[in-house]
Amino acid sequence: MYPQMKGPQKRLSKDAVKVWIINETIMNVIGFLILGILLYLDFRFSWKEWIGWIIKGLIPIAVLGAVWSWINPFLLYKNWRYDVDEEFLQLKSGVINERHQLVPMTKIQSVATKQGPLLRKYGLCSVSIETMGSSHTIPALPKEIAIELRNQIAHYAKIKEVES
Amino acid sequence: MTKVKRYHPLLMLFDLWQLLKNIFFIFIFLFIIKAGSQSLFITYGRLLFFIVCGVSFIYIILKWVTHKYGLDDRCFYLYKGILCKSERTIPFSKIQNVNRHTSLFHRMFNVTSISFETGMTGEDAAVKYEVVSKKEAERMEEFIASAVHEEAMNLSLLEMAVEKVDSNRVIHFKPMKKDILKASFTSLSFLLFIPLLLSFYSKVDDIFHVVEQTKGIFFSIIGSWWIVTTIVIVLIMASVGFGIARTFLKYGKYEISSDQDRIYITKGVLDETAFSIAKEKVQAIEIKQSILKRLLGFAEVKLTSAGSLSLGEEKLEINSLYPFLPDGRAYDMISEILPAYEVTQKMNRLPKKSLWFRVFSPSWIWMISSAALFYFKPAVLGIEQAWWIISAALLMVVVAARWLDFLHTQYILNDRFIQFKKGSLTTSLFVSKRDKVIEVKVTRNIFQKWLGLASIETINRAKPIQHNEIVDVPVDFAVSFYKWYMGRRKEIEIE
Repeated sequence: MYPQMKGPQKRLSKDAVKVWIINETIMNVIGFLILGILLYLDFRFSWKEWIGWIIKGLIPIAVLGAVWSWINPFLLYKNWRYDVDEEFLQLKSGVINERHQLVPMTKIQSVATKQGPLLRKYGLCSVSIETMGSSHTIPALPKEIAIELRNQIAHYAKIKEVES
Repeated sequence: MTKVKRYHPLLMLFDLWQLLKNIFFIFIFLFIIKAGSQSLFITYGRLLFFIVCGVSFIYIILKWVTHKYGLDDRCFYLYKGILCKSERTIPFSKIQNVNRHTSLFHRMFNVTSISFETGMTGEDAAVKYEVVSKKEAERMEEFIASAVHEEAMNLSLLEMAVEKVDSNRVIHFKPMKKDILKASFTSLSFLLFIPLLLSFYSKVDDIFHVVEQTKGIFFSIIGSWWIVTTIVIVLIMASVGFGIARTFLKYGKYEISSDQDRIYITKGVLDETAFSIAKEKVQAIEIKQSILKRLLGFAEVKLTSAGSLSLGEEKLEINSLYPFLPDGRAYDMISEILPAYEVTQKMNRLPKKSLWFRVFSPSWIWMISSAALFYFKPAVLGIEQAWWIISAALLMVVVAARWLDFLHTQYILNDRFIQFKKGSLTTSLFVSKRDKVIEVKVTRNIFQKWLGLASIETINRAKPIQHNEIVDVPVDFAVSFYKWYMGRRKEIEIE
């Protein structure tokens, strides 16, 4: 880490890992099903040879992708940090590609909490923040914390900077 | 509030002219190319054509009758809608820049078009007057400038003490004949004459089939050397003349001026365009130099605005101070017209290790094209081994480009300002103020972590949003960059 720099400290909910893994597993099952159907169709209707090669080539890639998608949530959770104060929203994520973002509160245009079926099962919310130039998402926070954070950001963002 | 007015009556003529332009080709198709056709498709097409023309014509008139505008000392008020009425209010303080365009049509009637651009996105981002009398345009622009100025004055009592500022404009630059000549050579516009000639020839050939006839003439010409020389000389002179004329039409009547609050850029001989921006709305400055400009000592200075720089579909390159400024003059001019900006020529360079990192990081372009070359092994000019020669040459080009980029990359945090310079063939220097940067980002990939390097990125308001990144700076600099941005609280004023 950067010893000289005090980064953000707050972490995501621990359940985020479960949500991501379930999500990835569903995606992988769908992916493998599609590949399986394609392989069967290729065998049944004897498609052109090169199509078969492409499908067979995709299988090891899909397997590697699946393994990675089960490791990635742990890394993602371990390295995600955020923090807000009166002036800035700070975000930090990633281990192979580490990313620090610093967003002034006065430039935040809107903030929203969102909840899909999986997140709802674990009582989580994601917080998405739109600024003048980009959008950011804090992926999984416990619902009460997410709502509190949303209200806090909305309060801080109300302070207006003289715009020129 | 001034009284609510209709737009200029000539707007109807202008819209009619636009309509005629749009339906011209359909007309040609339906009534000239297919003149004798009795097919159902064409008959109904003609009917539809008349209906569309009639409706558009009525719409043009109704639009003029119902659309109105007014302005007071704070806002624009726009009223529109034939059946469904709408009213829009746009405060002057949200206006980022003003674009004016006088096309040939406008010149004929001594009018102009003006648009006041805001930083919003979407259809209604600008207050547009497609036809407006020159006097009215002038009046509105001045009105807005003075209204915003007064607002700024109210903010600080200290400035109130300053006696009423005269709006005397100072002209900073007007190109001389010498500048035009230099510009026409630097922009290589004389080279454009050759493709123009070729396309003209091929068009003539399509119609008259001159190739067969000219073959005989061609051989008799090439037989005598003096005719060949004369033709070559005539061609060179014509293309140089063409280049100069083209440059003159584009950059001939350039004028950069400024007063206390605003910067004005006008250009164009036939089609006049004008751009004006309040000094405090300049989001960033960019100085661009292509390789040719660097050799000849020219630079182009661009002002970044959060508003749009195009008018309709045309993109007007109007935010540029003259593209062929002598580079010393460019830096002087920035300090003349934007005293709030400081540009320093002294900047930090990247450490040696980032050169090694850059040179040895994999190049996708090279890898993919080498793989393709290895697979197909094309024989170029009859050489069997051409594939690895091309691959090696490509690798050298890639390394050279990275090396040049390394040499050109410079950066510094200069009090409230940040400066990035980068680029391999065309270099660009980006200067912005801390309070104009709306977001920052520091990233490190696994190799950068290992070498103690990082990449930094700033985001600025512009259309589209401007991202500026500098990769492989030392991690200490990245940390001080992050802290520098946190120091933003010292500058911003809170409403």
